[in-house]
Amino acid sequence: MSIAKVTATLLLVVGSVSFSRGDDVTPKADLDMGNSAAVAAEVDRLIDEELRKGGLAPAALTKDEDFLRRVTLDLAGSVPSPKEVTLFGLTQDENKREAQIERLLLSDEYAENWARYWRDVVFYRATEMRSRAAAPTFENWMAEKFKANASWDTIATEIITATGDVQTDGQTALIFAHMGETEEIAAEVSRIFMGIQIQCANCHDHPSDQWKRQQFHELAAFFPRVNVRRKPKTDGKAGFEVVSFTPPRVGNNQNGNKNANGRQAFFDNPEVLINRLDKNNDKLLSKDEVTAANKQLARLFDRLLERGDENKDGKLSADEIKKIPPPNNQRRTQAEHFMPDLNNPGSQGKRMDPVFFVSSSKIKTELGDLERRNELASHLTSVDNPWFAKAFVNRVWSEMLGEGFYTPVDDIGPSRQASYPEVLDLLSNAFIANKYDVKWLFRTVALTQTYQREIRAQSAADLTPTFAASTPMRLRADQLYSAITDVLGIDQIGGRAQQARGALRGGDRSPRGMFNELFGFDPSTPQDDLVGEVPQALFMMNSPILNNLNRAEGRTRLAQLLKEYPEDKDAVIELYLLVLSREPSASELSICEEFIKETGERGEAFEDIQWSLINSSEFLSKR
Amino acid sequence: MSFSVQHDVRVHRQGIDRRCFLRQTSAAGLASFGALSFRDALNARAEEIQQAGYSVILLWMQGGPSQFETFDPKPDTANGGPTKAISTAVSGIQIAQGWNKVAGVMNDISLIRSMTNKEGQHARATYQMHTGYVPTGTVKHPSFGCAIAKEIAPEDLAFPSVVAVGRTVGAGFLGVDYEPFVVPRPGEMPGNVTVPVPANRLNRRLGLLDRLEGEFAGRGGENVVSSHKKLYDKTAKMVLSPKVSAFDIEQESQSLRDQYGNSNFGKGCLLARRLVEAGSTFVEVAANGWDTHQDNFTRTGNNAAQVDPGFGTLIADLKDRGMLDRTLVLWMGEFGRTPKINPRTGRDHYPRCFNAAIAGAGIKGGQVIGSSTDDGTTVKDHPVSVLDLFSTICQTVKVNPAKENISPLGRPMKIVDGGTAIPELIG
Repeated sequence: MSIAKVTATLLLVVGSVSFSRGDDVTPKADLDMGNSAAVAAEVDRLIDEELRKGGLAPAALTKDEDFLRRVTLDLAGSVPSPKEVTLFGLTQDENKREAQIERLLLSDEYAENWARYWRDVVFYRATEMRSRAAAPTFENWMAEKFKANASWDTIATEIITATGDVQTDGQTALIFAHMGETEEIAAEVSRIFMGIQIQCANCHDHPSDQWKRQQFHELAAFFPRVNVRRKPKTDGKAGFEVVSFTPPRVGNNQNGNKNANGRQAFFDNPEVLINRLDKNNDKLLSKDEVTAANKQLARLFDRLLERGDENKDGKLSADEIKKIPPPNNQRRTQAEHFMPDLNNPGSQGKRMDPVFFVSSSKIKTELGDLERRNELASHLTSVDNPWFAKAFVNRVWSEMLGEGFYTPVDDIGPSRQASYPEVLDLLSNAFIANKYDVKWLFRTVALTQTYQREIRAQSAADLTPTFAASTPMRLRADQLYSAITDVLGIDQIGGRAQQARGALRGGDRSPRGMFNELFGFDPSTPQDDLVGEVPQALFMMNSPILNNLNRAEGRTRLAQLLKEYPEDKDAVIELYLLVLSREPSASELSICEEFIKETGERGEAFEDIQWSLINSSEFLSKR
Repeated sequence: MSFSVQHDVRVHRQGIDRRCFLRQTSAAGLASFGALSFRDALNARAEEIQQAGYSVILLWMQGGPSQFETFDPKPDTANGGPTKAISTAVSGIQIAQGWNKVAGVMNDISLIRSMTNKEGQHARATYQMHTGYVPTGTVKHPSFGCAIAKEIAPEDLAFPSVVAVGRTVGAGFLGVDYEPFVVPRPGEMPGNVTVPVPANRLNRRLGLLDRLEGEFAGRGGENVVSSHKKLYDKTAKMVLSPKVSAFDIEQESQSLRDQYGNSNFGKGCLLARRLVEAGSTFVEVAANGWDTHQDNFTRTGNNAAQVDPGFGTLIADLKDRGMLDRTLVLWMGEFGRTPKINPRTGRDHYPRCFNAAIAGAGIKGGQVIGSSTDDGTTVKDHPVSVLDLFSTICQTVKVNPAKENISPLGRPMKIVDGGTAIPELIG
């Protein structure tokens, strides 16, 4: 089927739901979905039309130097060099922005940058701290995928259906990050791949959404047989692996439920076993009685006695057995998922069969682990599930423009109100029509004029994004690390952990990893909630490592620059190009020249100027 | 009635900041209230309470300290092992050998021998014992100390209100204002606090920075510029403040430093006292090495040799300075250890029955709350949960435990979700 045909079909399938607002803003019917430039132009047309209706004028397109810094940060995660800024500005080719986007998409840095973004998406929510050791493995795996331009549905499917060694198989990261916990994995798969926070319905029906508690637990029922277990030691190192748990065959119990976990059945109804083994009919189990019947159980019996023999008679009654608390790891080896009974938390709860809540698709019950997870992946990535494409498009758009159609990016869904829903629908449908081609999406967004607009001051009264102008964004830790090392001309920021922050993180001890500990944040956090922290300011302000690199003497970049540009004015311009990837304005130039004069010592003055530029909010931001 | 609403209520593009919403509504609701409930009364007294200057010091025993080798010894029993008991300043209370300094200040300390909990894994228990909530991927709960600081820390202090000596659990969704300031190595100034240039040059740099930021502000970055300036002002105020010397424990006399001990923990305890003096509301000091799966008796003995002088001297020193009435000291770890000694003469994780110690801020000292059975396997009477303990601390330092903070997804979450304060502890 041609792309055009697929598109037409999709518009029929998805469009009937998506374009139901009935506005006069509708996308062109004959749009060539494969063509990034055409889709980008259509996005701009839809946004411009809305803006015109609201009487809002869009901001002008950015200057070349601002565009270059922005797009280099967005696609390659670093800042352009002074030479690149100058050359780009001098190039006459009218397609130079498009060409630059293509160059960046082909770079290894593109794959690395977005791999780091997704590493943070997954690991900032990890409930198993030890999993952070596997973050570099996941990052490498994601980078390979992005480099090969693997489609988003392929990547999602591999993560959802992963098995393997956590140190070598990066796709196991999400499951390892939650130690195979059924409910956590279900919640995160929904949040990350669909932007839907269905786990709020874990304990009660969702307060502000349509999801029911049962739907969350039906989603969790896709994962009960995932297991993370310790791996036998190799080279003296203990590791973990993600495996499928295959339940042992248990005979029919009195519930007629042959899949109920036999162990749980024993704790729920110890009378059955007691009646069978109780030779002397005292309604109590003794070690001898158990040993006579089952040697395996006899080994366990001592432990049960220790934990449950309340009256210390060396025997266990049915009541005593019922009161024995379940071991912590019990859920990890359950063959089925049970929705807890809120009125009776100690009981097993209600067994759930897997149902995918978006499309209410049921699958066969009693499937094995991989069959279940494959079923889920195929429903989740299906063109019938609009949230899979929307969640990704919304994330990429938010990360590039500073504001999303939905904010926060991981709390979207049918009862949330999107800004410009028809634009999100258009991009999502086109993303689907392009078979979830990730680079296609980046190219398309980068090509829109909406992306290429200047930043503009926003009043606090603007409660919804207008996309009339661009929004400054805080650099992610990896972007900032690359920017600092590039600007100062160093390979890495050495030295020890600088000043660590509070939260228990652990993990990557490389210089970049340590820097991320200090400057990192969960990339799903809305921009408005991101403000700097004191230890970060301390590092930028006072750290010996940056202070040494800020010297006007010795072998620093600054010393070299001052030698190359004996005229103060030229040196200031070059320093601005180096740190902020732009030339100074006339007023900045005069502030600096005046400052140099007041200070009276050239080296010292330039140290202070470079310090100010590196400590500026502009350096920390994408503009 | 004057009422202080947090001044940085932010109206932003997603509407009113949800974190501030509750404060606003309760302030508004309060104005129209005639009779005040307990909770409202506490809210109304917020300013007064902030001036009362309560602080909390958490002595965190990383790894899970054995109750048998600390404050619930069972000498001459199979499970008690070779550990002997010693007498304390309070007749009738015995604790494990090696805790002589703590024994000497037992009049001010209460022991809880009937702590009971369910989390038996380090990371989960550390999280839960710090936050009062079990970990979940979708919300990062604030640590209890950060939540308390949010309620009672003085505003606008040029000094961190929450400090951790060693790693800890952070402020979670309460955000950066209450994020612990971490001191990795007590005895050294924390990294990057020392200004590498003379103070007047730092001020000159900050002045230039201010002027150069004008361009970006004018081009649309004004919000970013103004929040950045706030942060830099706060940070500069801190590093240029004389209070920053609170981090320097060498300013204390050698004899007092010797009493606290030369270990990291001892130094941390002394630092904690200095930080509380300088205005910090919550300080955590961690002691490692309590995960004694092997060789339990030697190792707990070594640990006691470091923790006992720090803990005991801290109580005595706070008391000498008249600070103990306003400073609560809590000693605990993730969980206790198994009563049964394993084949490697170790003890394994045991959350079912363990102990904790608490002192100061009006806590009635010199008593034991609850007890464990003779074999130590379970709580005999007066079970105390983590939430009971947190509720007690809230009542002691005058924080409303039912006060709700709003999670990023808009869900109200109480500072302490349940539990009852232990009446015997409240003087």
